[in-house]
Amino acid sequence: MSNELKIKNQTVSQWVKSGDPWVWLNAGAVAICVIMVIGLLALIAVRGLGHFWPADINQGTYSLPGSTPYTLVAERVESAEVPAAQLREAGIDVADHHDLMMRSLMKTGNRDVYGSDFRWVIDEYFTDITQPEMLFAAERHEWGNLYGYLKAVKEDGKVVAQTEDLTPTDSALATWAAFERSIERATTIYDDIHDVEKDEIGAINHKLERLRLEQRRLELNNELTPAKLADIDAQRAEQDALYEALQQRLIDLYAEINRDTFVVQVMDGSVHELQVAKVVRAYRPNAMGIAEKLGFYGSKVVEFLTAEPREANTEGGVFPAIFGTVMMVLLMTILVTPFGVVAAVYLREYASQGFVTRTIRIAVNNLAGVPSIVYGVFGLGFFVYFLGSGIDQAFFPEALPSPTFGTGGLMWASITLALLTVPVVIVATEEGLSRIPRNVREGSLALGATKAETLWRVVLPMASPAIMTGVILAVARAAGEVAPLMLVGVVKLAPSLPLDGNYPFIHLDQKFMHLGFHIYDVGFQSPNVEAARPLVYATALLLVIVIALLNLAAVTIRNHLREKYKSLEM
Amino acid sequence: MSETTTHSIDISAMQRSQQALRIEDEKVCLSVKDLHLYYGEKEALKGIDMIIPEKKVTAFIGPSGCGKSTLLRCFNRMNDLVDSCRITGEINLHDTNIYEKGTDVAELRRRVGMVFQKPNPFPKSIYENVAYGLRIQGINKKRVIDETVEWALRSAALWDEVKDRLHESALGMSGGQQQRLVIARTVAVKPEVLLLDEPASALDPISTLKIEELIHQLKEEFTIAIVTHNMQQAARVSDYTAFMYMGNMVEFGDTNSLFTNPTKQQTEDYITGRYG
Repeated sequence: MSNELKIKNQTVSQWVKSGDPWVWLNAGAVAICVIMVIGLLALIAVRGLGHFWPADINQGTYSLPGSTPYTLVAERVESAEVPAAQLREAGIDVADHHDLMMRSLMKTGNRDVYGSDFRWVIDEYFTDITQPEMLFAAERHEWGNLYGYLKAVKEDGKVVAQTEDLTPTDSALATWAAFERSIERATTIYDDIHDVEKDEIGAINHKLERLRLEQRRLELNNELTPAKLADIDAQRAEQDALYEALQQRLIDLYAEINRDTFVVQVMDGSVHELQVAKVVRAYRPNAMGIAEKLGFYGSKVVEFLTAEPREANTEGGVFPAIFGTVMMVLLMTILVTPFGVVAAVYLREYASQGFVTRTIRIAVNNLAGVPSIVYGVFGLGFFVYFLGSGIDQAFFPEALPSPTFGTGGLMWASITLALLTVPVVIVATEEGLSRIPRNVREGSLALGATKAETLWRVVLPMASPAIMTGVILAVARAAGEVAPLMLVGVVKLAPSLPLDGNYPFIHLDQKFMHLGFHIYDVGFQSPNVEAARPLVYATALLLVIVIALLNLAAVTIRNHLREKYKSLEM
Repeated sequence: MSETTTHSIDISAMQRSQQALRIEDEKVCLSVKDLHLYYGEKEALKGIDMIIPEKKVTAFIGPSGCGKSTLLRCFNRMNDLVDSCRITGEINLHDTNIYEKGTDVAELRRRVGMVFQKPNPFPKSIYENVAYGLRIQGINKKRVIDETVEWALRSAALWDEVKDRLHESALGMSGGQQQRLVIARTVAVKPEVLLLDEPASALDPISTLKIEELIHQLKEEFTIAIVTHNMQQAARVSDYTAFMYMGNMVEFGDTNSLFTNPTKQQTEDYITGRYG
């Protein structure tokens, strides 16, 4: 055996020649990409998902040097090390031997009592920390969380249960049980009120508005005969009567829901009497086992996914935003797919491949690179102001001066995004069409099919995986787009969903909520930034998941089509 | 090499038929008059005059690039799909010039069907492949389609192999089966003429044999024109043979005489393997 074939002392140039550095470089680039993506997802997952966990409530004495000690009841949100010098500069008398000190952000809740939800606490001075079992947290419809000890539950001002104990004695537990029953009752009534206000009265309002518009339309057309007017008035009276009945029912329900109150002692020792109706849920995290906490966590996640937002979007759920995002993307897909495919078919199959076609193709490719906000401006200027007001003049004169389509809405947002993504679909479809083997087309033509029939029956089905690729890219781009939507129809809080039980069921003219915009709004426009921050992460995670699911659906369809038409690989 | 080739052709030609064929006696299906075809500036067919006799097999032989496929594609105006292609002269299908203005090309292609070199089934089921031409014509009655599909598959000697899996994808068939499926698909629309463009060149010998047998059966009902590189095949399956060279029709006559007693030196050189 000759030894010359063996590599012994490899020189650098030999190593370079062997190609190993190149492999390392490539692998390294891939590794960095993967690490960054996983890191990003992990960060938003950890920060977002942690928000729903019922943290223990700490009670202790906070004795900052130079100020009077007081009892602090709070959840720990986050901790950070700060240099002692910085604290000294802030005027806090810190002992000399400290260089770094742990400082924690504590959620004290009770914004109505203390004025703010959060305060920074230096761990060193927060002592005698306990987690008393009877401390409870209550999520409220307004004013954020409440922390304190339950003292009594009252019905119509009469005490039904009360306790003086701050430990889990029988009387304390009995009061707690009465409180839980009272909350359950209030929640049921609250749901009833919500149903009546949102659905039933909403429907009546919708009908009354339609009647008003109908009358106005007839007036404008000079067709308002006394008979018709009487008919409209009769219908209006009917709706009014229904409304009166519901109104009465609401008054009763409100009286019912306001029956119960509870008395709570908060950390500064003051006692407050509050209505049970204001409470969404109350729980004692310090007394919960891991299973209970998991159950609570699950219900919070479900609420996040299915409920409407509360308190300037910083509490409650994001369902309207999920719904708006998905609906807008679906509408966009329905618009962009036929449009892009038709354009691509013309460019590839019918147009003579000359200078003009080439120019158009280059222009289309470049359109994909135009910043999305430019599309937003165009959508606002052309669709909303020009087309929208034109539509209003022509079809909805009775509603003027309030605009119907002359303002941002679901339809304009979908069309704007369709315009934004159509180049992607065109490019992908053209690519697919160019890959259909010539002999398959000829086979169809030779059987007496016209070009259109060949396209429709053979070529387009075979190109459908490529079309789906375009749609996938379009969906991915559209679902994540926020900037143009801010101009053409997304709002921070929409009163109703764009799809409901009122005729015509899909309200294309309505403004809607969107997860991307929701992130921006909650994170940067919120009055309570600390409370909102975890929600930003949770919403971001949700947006990623929604886009991933939409993509996954499209990829599944494409793979199915590929399987069906896999002759392309022949 | 050349000797053995000539030898085998002689035998098969003798076996084929005893009666002498005369082109003058045949009914004319397609007639070509002074056909010139240009790809841009290049003249690919330089004035072709010939006839394709009805219910007979006419073979086109010649070296690569001689224009035989191009000529075949003129019969159903497939060359229309080539942008730079220009044609003068005329081709008559039963006294109608197919190059006249206003010709319904789709209808022409239905009457003059074509099978290509490479099997090109559609990515559909076997059944739908055969039914394709019918559906194009707007025939949607299930009974009619069922019957025609069976008849066409039987005509293409494929029925027994696929009758149990009609609704499976055609792409799962072997190459030879696919090519017979394509023939069945073409036959299903009941054309008058079948153009076969090297139908067996991508197939193995056994599949080739089946295709050849099929051609024998099909000529009972259809006029067949076949382009082939394989001279034995031309000798085996055809009644008439045209030898083309450099865009010219060098010699055209009944297969027997052309192979045994060619009148042109070029033809003799080609069929004895001296060039090509």
